[in-house]
Amino acid sequence: MQRPVSSLSLNPGVKVKLVSAGFQFTTDLLHVKPQQLSKEAALNQQEALEVLQAVRRADEGAASSSSTALELLQKEEEELRSIVTFSSQLDAALGGGAPVGRVTEVCGVPGVGKTQLCLQLAVDAQVPRCFGGVGGQVVYIDTEGSFLIQRVADLAAAAVNHCSLLVEDQEQRVAMETFTVESILSNMFVVRCHDYIELLAELHLMPGFLSDHPRVRLLVIDSVASPFRPLFDELLQRTRLLSGFAQQLLSMATSHDIAVVITNQMTTRVQGAQSQLVPALGDSWGHAATIRLLLQWEGPQRLAIIVKSPCHRVSTVRYTITSEGFRDAEQWSEPLSQSETGKQGV
Amino acid sequence: MVVLREGMCPGLDEDLVRDLRNADIKTVEDLVSSDTEKLAQKCSVSYKALLAIRRVLLAQHTAFPVSGADLYEELLSSTAILSSGNPSLDKLLDSGFYTGELTELSGGPGSGKSQVCFAASVHISHHLKQSVVFVDTTGGLTAGRLLQMLEAETGSREEQMEALQRIHVFRLFDVFSLLDCLYGLRAGILQQASVGGGGGSVKAVIVDSVSAVIAPVLGGKQNEGMSLMTQVGGVLKTIAKDFNIAALVTNHVTRSLSGEVQPGLGMSWSHVPRTRILLERVEAASAGCSSLRSATLIKSSRQPCNIRVEFDLQRWSRSKRGSEEMRTPEEMDSA
Repeated sequence: MQRPVSSLSLNPGVKVKLVSAGFQFTTDLLHVKPQQLSKEAALNQQEALEVLQAVRRADEGAASSSSTALELLQKEEEELRSIVTFSSQLDAALGGGAPVGRVTEVCGVPGVGKTQLCLQLAVDAQVPRCFGGVGGQVVYIDTEGSFLIQRVADLAAAAVNHCSLLVEDQEQRVAMETFTVESILSNMFVVRCHDYIELLAELHLMPGFLSDHPRVRLLVIDSVASPFRPLFDELLQRTRLLSGFAQQLLSMATSHDIAVVITNQMTTRVQGAQSQLVPALGDSWGHAATIRLLLQWEGPQRLAIIVKSPCHRVSTVRYTITSEGFRDAEQWSEPLSQSETGKQGV
Repeated sequence: MVVLREGMCPGLDEDLVRDLRNADIKTVEDLVSSDTEKLAQKCSVSYKALLAIRRVLLAQHTAFPVSGADLYEELLSSTAILSSGNPSLDKLLDSGFYTGELTELSGGPGSGKSQVCFAASVHISHHLKQSVVFVDTTGGLTAGRLLQMLEAETGSREEQMEALQRIHVFRLFDVFSLLDCLYGLRAGILQQASVGGGGGSVKAVIVDSVSAVIAPVLGGKQNEGMSLMTQVGGVLKTIAKDFNIAALVTNHVTRSLSGEVQPGLGMSWSHVPRTRILLERVEAASAGCSSLRSATLIKSSRQPCNIRVEFDLQRWSRSKRGSEEMRTPEEMDSA
């Protein structure tokens, strides 16, 4: 079986021209000169060159490179660290926090703490390496206008204070000199997007930005739901845009080694006489994030549940939000949370 | 449809190709479907020569019939059934993934598709000592999780590392890269992988998930997406058949108007996989998440459809081995 020309990543118009000129398979194009091709298929010089380059790449099979699972394991163990959440129980459940190189989605009803978790992560991503952090920069895409800089300053001050109490050796003392509220704020790039077009455009520019700023370790989008939910009239279009969006996020997370954290709202699904709260944007969006975290209320308590993850157990932890940020729920000591896990999780 | 070139067959020289081209005959298809007699007059070549060329070209591009007896011989000698490692899933699959066939797992988020893929690849690489190609399009593959599963199978670090080395991972996030990868596999990476991978030929290609890369191009005004989807299906089937490989893909689910769950990617894709399985969470009575999953056979050419089994993701391999994560201390000692 030969490879059809239509499977190449080319402009559809160019492909139509090629096929109507009789070039059905890539092997037909292997020994063709650019001038000849542009004459025969009525393409301009530039297009003909692009076609031939694509054919050559496909022929060499250089486009995809594989690694063995062992190599991946070594990379995971050595290079990819997680960004701590400052809630030790949640960190433990997630194996260290929001993992670098993956997409994590945080869903929840209004006011449960999605934005607080995002702001906390934006601060924590900058914790120096010697304190167990990743010491990176942060891109924060705000679509709801909920990025409150005073709150970030509070969280940053608390984080700096927390780290300064932990200083033990010389390296950490040196690191503390540059880990200040001011440096935290200056290493945060905040983008305000008002609608889905701005968001999609921003995401298209992001790979270039990430290449210019190799220290970025966290990309936050708070939230994905608000720009896309008004598109309810064009569901098919929305699904298509969203699934493309999800693949872009994944590709960025993997190729630039950044943690991507996105938030999603909740919606009501009515089924017969019953209804339940489910994450918004539909079923197929559920596949978008690698890890899905559900924040919800249980009476006065806040719970974080790992609903979907290929590498963690389903588990439930309690957390609270204090003036210092996202923290463990203190008054509920560990045994309680474990019985909770035993009952609900696995 | 192949472009006519000089030297493709005896008698087809440069002048003739030019003459044919002037008569608007560019491809083999054009030549064999045109009226040979008229063409001979138009291009001023002998009718006989043209007929000979036509015959050779037809012979070159035709498909040959194979006798059923030969096919049966081949089946007996080369088809393998790769156990998934889980007894109840094997029951559903009629004892495992068949080489030469495409099997599909569909299910909603968190229904265990990826876990089944991981467990199957670990089982194939560790127990069957065969190589696996794992195409990860959702970023879900975690080597740490594979290691965890292996640790439940064997205590020997060396065996674990060997098994991990037999799993070849491709990470790609768009449909063109997937096609590049699959055509590349067909063109020879498969053989290389089996040589360089430390024993065991590639016996399984897993794509987790195929819908993640196809859904973004499907729909809208252009119908290119449909063509790309068909090609992904086609090349996967060819790989499976030509190299005797079991192909396993995952798919998302959509909800029909009546609220019923069905595999995604629509009707045309539904003809591609030979066997389709729908995975669902088993809702526990205590309103929580459990590791119990149900699998329903929704398309098969071997077993009656709509068989449903339940299995526990935590107790993947045979029950005597116990669960993989929640092993009790006694089990740890005996391992």
